[in-house]
Amino acid sequence: MFKKVFAVVMAVAMMLSLCACGGNKGADYTAENTEYVIGFSGPLTGAAAVYGVAVKNAAQMAVDEINAAGGFDGVNFKLVATDDMHDATKVATNYYSMLEGGMQVSLGTVTTGPGLEYTNLSEEDNVFFLTPSASGDDIPANDNGFQMCFADGNQGKVAADYVNSLGMTKIGIFYKSDDAYSNGIYKQFKENLKEGIETVEAVFTGDAQDFSAQISNLKDCTFIFMPIYYQPASVFMTQAKDIISAKAVYYGCDGFDGLAGQFEDFTVIPQEVSMLSHFDSNATTGAAADFIKKYTEKFGTDTLNQFGASAYDCVYAIFNAMKAAKAAGKDVSVTISATDLCEILKEQFKGDFSYSGVTGDDITWEDNGYVSKEAVKYTLKTAN
Amino acid sequence: MEYLKIVIDGLSIGSTYAMIALGYTMVYGIAKMLNFAHGDVIMAGGYAMYVTLFLHAPWYVALAAAVIFCTVLGITVEKVAYKPLRGASPLAVLITAIGVSSLLQSLAQIIFGSAPKMVGIADLGNVTIAGENIPISTFVTLGCSTVIMLVLTLFVKFTRTGRAMIAVSEDRDAAQLMGVDSNKIITITFAIGSALAAFAAFFMLMKSPSLTNAFGAMPGIKAFTAAVIGGIGSIPGAMLGGILMGVVEAVALKFPLIAPYTDAIEFLILIVILLVRPTGLIGKKRREKV
Amino acid sequence: MSKLKSIKWKHYVNYILVGIAAVVFTALSFAGELNSSTLVLLEKVTIAVMLAVSLSLVVGFLGELSLGHAGFMCVGAYLGGKAAVLLQPSLGEWPALVISLLVGGAVAAVFGVIIGLPALRLRGDYLAIVTLAFGEIVRTVFMNADEDLFGGTLGLSTPRFDKHYLFIIAFVLVLLCLWVSQNIIRSKHGRAITAIRDNEIAAKATGINVTKYKLVVFTVSSFFAGIAGVLYSYSNTTVQSDVFDYNYSIAILVMVVLGGMGNLTGSIIAATVIISAQVFLQTGLTGDLAVLQNVVYALITIVVVIYNNAPSLKGFRDKYNLGNLVKKFRKPDPASVHDDEAKWDRVPTKIDMDEVLSTDIQPSSPFTPDKPDKGAN
Repeated sequence: MFKKVFAVVMAVAMMLSLCACGGNKGADYTAENTEYVIGFSGPLTGAAAVYGVAVKNAAQMAVDEINAAGGFDGVNFKLVATDDMHDATKVATNYYSMLEGGMQVSLGTVTTGPGLEYTNLSEEDNVFFLTPSASGDDIPANDNGFQMCFADGNQGKVAADYVNSLGMTKIGIFYKSDDAYSNGIYKQFKENLKEGIETVEAVFTGDAQDFSAQISNLKDCTFIFMPIYYQPASVFMTQAKDIISAKAVYYGCDGFDGLAGQFEDFTVIPQEVSMLSHFDSNATTGAAADFIKKYTEKFGTDTLNQFGASAYDCVYAIFNAMKAAKAAGKDVSVTISATDLCEILKEQFKGDFSYSGVTGDDITWEDNGYVSKEAVKYTLKTAN
Repeated sequence: MEYLKIVIDGLSIGSTYAMIALGYTMVYGIAKMLNFAHGDVIMAGGYAMYVTLFLHAPWYVALAAAVIFCTVLGITVEKVAYKPLRGASPLAVLITAIGVSSLLQSLAQIIFGSAPKMVGIADLGNVTIAGENIPISTFVTLGCSTVIMLVLTLFVKFTRTGRAMIAVSEDRDAAQLMGVDSNKIITITFAIGSALAAFAAFFMLMKSPSLTNAFGAMPGIKAFTAAVIGGIGSIPGAMLGGILMGVVEAVALKFPLIAPYTDAIEFLILIVILLVRPTGLIGKKRREKV
Repeated sequence: MSKLKSIKWKHYVNYILVGIAAVVFTALSFAGELNSSTLVLLEKVTIAVMLAVSLSLVVGFLGELSLGHAGFMCVGAYLGGKAAVLLQPSLGEWPALVISLLVGGAVAAVFGVIIGLPALRLRGDYLAIVTLAFGEIVRTVFMNADEDLFGGTLGLSTPRFDKHYLFIIAFVLVLLCLWVSQNIIRSKHGRAITAIRDNEIAAKATGINVTKYKLVVFTVSSFFAGIAGVLYSYSNTTVQSDVFDYNYSIAILVMVVLGGMGNLTGSIIAATVIISAQVFLQTGLTGDLAVLQNVVYALITIVVVIYNNAPSLKGFRDKYNLGNLVKKFRKPDPASVHDDEAKWDRVPTKIDMDEVLSTDIQPSSPFTPDKPDKGAN
């Protein structure tokens, strides 16, 4: 019995240690802030960790640069990166712990599933977020949310327009049916595809590693649309390199970025590989090249991908918007509450604020939170 | 022709499952525990190969290194996490196995980072049969799993250690009384199971060279399902179950309408088979003693 | 401590535990002393407690290993959530809550019967894999179902209940779950169920209707898992199918095993401690340290399980048991027999026929009718 009582005391003590009993009515969590706090929730561990870690690294890099250059009127920024393991159930805990820890503005989440939860939570408290990579169409559903990446539906539509313009009669589609990103692009792509174009489809789920059956399905296609991430894409291409015609074209979306880094020698893949994206991690010119150089010096090439580039831009876009608001006479101080800052930033992002960075020039935002910037078709490699 | 291709695709997928299932079934058959960490031992073997290949060693050195590493890892895990619980509830062992699985995955991420690693083992090329390009690795994997299955069967049937394994699996206490050191036998079983995991890692990487810390998790569960379909504990059963799973998967993936349900179909077949034959396709029926 | 008193205490300890927590936190909440993260934590803990208690019925009392508990929860979350979406606009928040709880629980219970049927034929690990398969099938089906119906890969958007009230509802439902579970366990039915766990064939031989009891336990257990699922759908704004994978079922199983098989109080405490510890690690280890979360959690799990279960550590456990400190000052209490605690470290019951026969015929001690055995009457 004593053991039980002891266990109960332990349990209660553990729970109480987590209850920073403060009262939440009109709580002013930011009153004690000495730095501007930017938070986000992303998969820092687990299967999707490579994306969360990229965002964490790049955002930290941007924060460090801003601080080194004197911060915001002499006040530094601080990045809080919480881990959600790409699991929607962990988002609420992360969100409230960051909010109660003084978060004023956020990068939302890294992935779409947890992002849907974050979208609804942050609306209740009116906390601004600009997500680097949660590309679901509903992520900016509320007016406090904005995206730096293209929304899935838009990517699908743009890709369909491109395919329509090619004048083909038969294309292959290879996508991941249990993934929100892949599915979201696929649906809109299918919807906007011209009538008369025959499609051959192949899907995979989970962490499938053997694509023999899918390759058999697609082997007669000369154009394969692949709205998937680079890791399964690299496996598919390796397994299909001698089976699918060498004249075929693999066409992907921003998830393809990082593909070239998967191969010691990309020319082992005979087919043409291209993607529609806002960033190419093999860029050799412009702002993207600068970013790549800085990032790889600090973190190596392992986690270099468009997630990081986008996060880097997000931090700077928020910083610039705050500067612009201040210049326009808005009151921005270090103890500003998340809600007040949200109103100020919303006004900026819905107004004529524009930003030029790594993932595009003259980036603006539509009133519904979608980003408006140029999608570039990058040819990652030409046919051998 | 089309059907032949489906079967060959199924063999390609299934041979991998069979290879992993052999390791599962060995450990389950003798130690009577669901080793949920088996998939992660495969992952560890993959990283061992990654490191050796990174040092420009040839593939056979990498395979040897992986076999040694996995064996040592398997024995260590067994000694540290499972052996203290011998004689305790089987559920306690199940929980530590899950703990070990999560621990290995986290350690892999800490050491090697979260980005996938490309491990190029050997490109064997393709062979053209009746106008279809088929990767040679499919046949190699299938052949090697068959050989391993035969060797294991013979080993268990005809060697002293193998017969001791059967004895331990039948009745651990009785075996102990007959002078079989059951602890030692279980350790040997784990060593063999883990060495098989290294082989599985080798053949998996040959086909799909992208290595992450979740490399072994899903194939592990699938292969476990395969082992149960075949009759867990039965070595030929594991092989049969693996191939069957592979063929089912290939058939399901052929049709876009049902392809998203592939996993569900595989699991449904498992349930149906177990309802008809409660101990799997070639599992031994055990009479329950009162 | 008199016998009567000790039995009463034992019967009510779970209600008292949960009741006190419910009252304290409700009072704090109305006083405005709880911040949002605490409210979220309370929701998580109560849902976990309900899952652990309901799984404990199957694993701890019936003795069947289930790795598909999250599947029942998934059914409850999707169907209860869908009911809430459909009914809330017309019926209002509270009636919709009640109906969706019933719908989610009832449909999950139906699935409980369906899974209970194979349980009649399959034993041990084979049943475990069937339940795991069931869980995976359920979530795959929900994920691929019509997008207008269940939202597809993006999940079903569900109404979120005011978090100042939801945890109170959850506490009430946990008490209900405990009341039902304890009434089953502490009745003659409960003894029949534990008899099946300890020896199914012997139980059958004594006339216990094994089929009925197995189905009842699976039904009740999955009903409450379904209820927990509905609560989940109310505490989150989306129900996403990939949440309910087999890892979730295993996480619930860990709570039951760490709490002690067939020990409801233990399950409640273990669920509370585990969820709190996870949240503690999740919010404490951020940024570069996040990668340590799983290492710490896995190591703690392994160490605790080995410490609690290793036969070789039994002496050590007994020596350093905190209970010993008290026992010194207290007379031993014969009534404190843990009738509902499973002894899983015991060797399965086997009657060795050879031994029985050899004791019956013993030439050295001939049968003497004049001196009847002392125990016989």
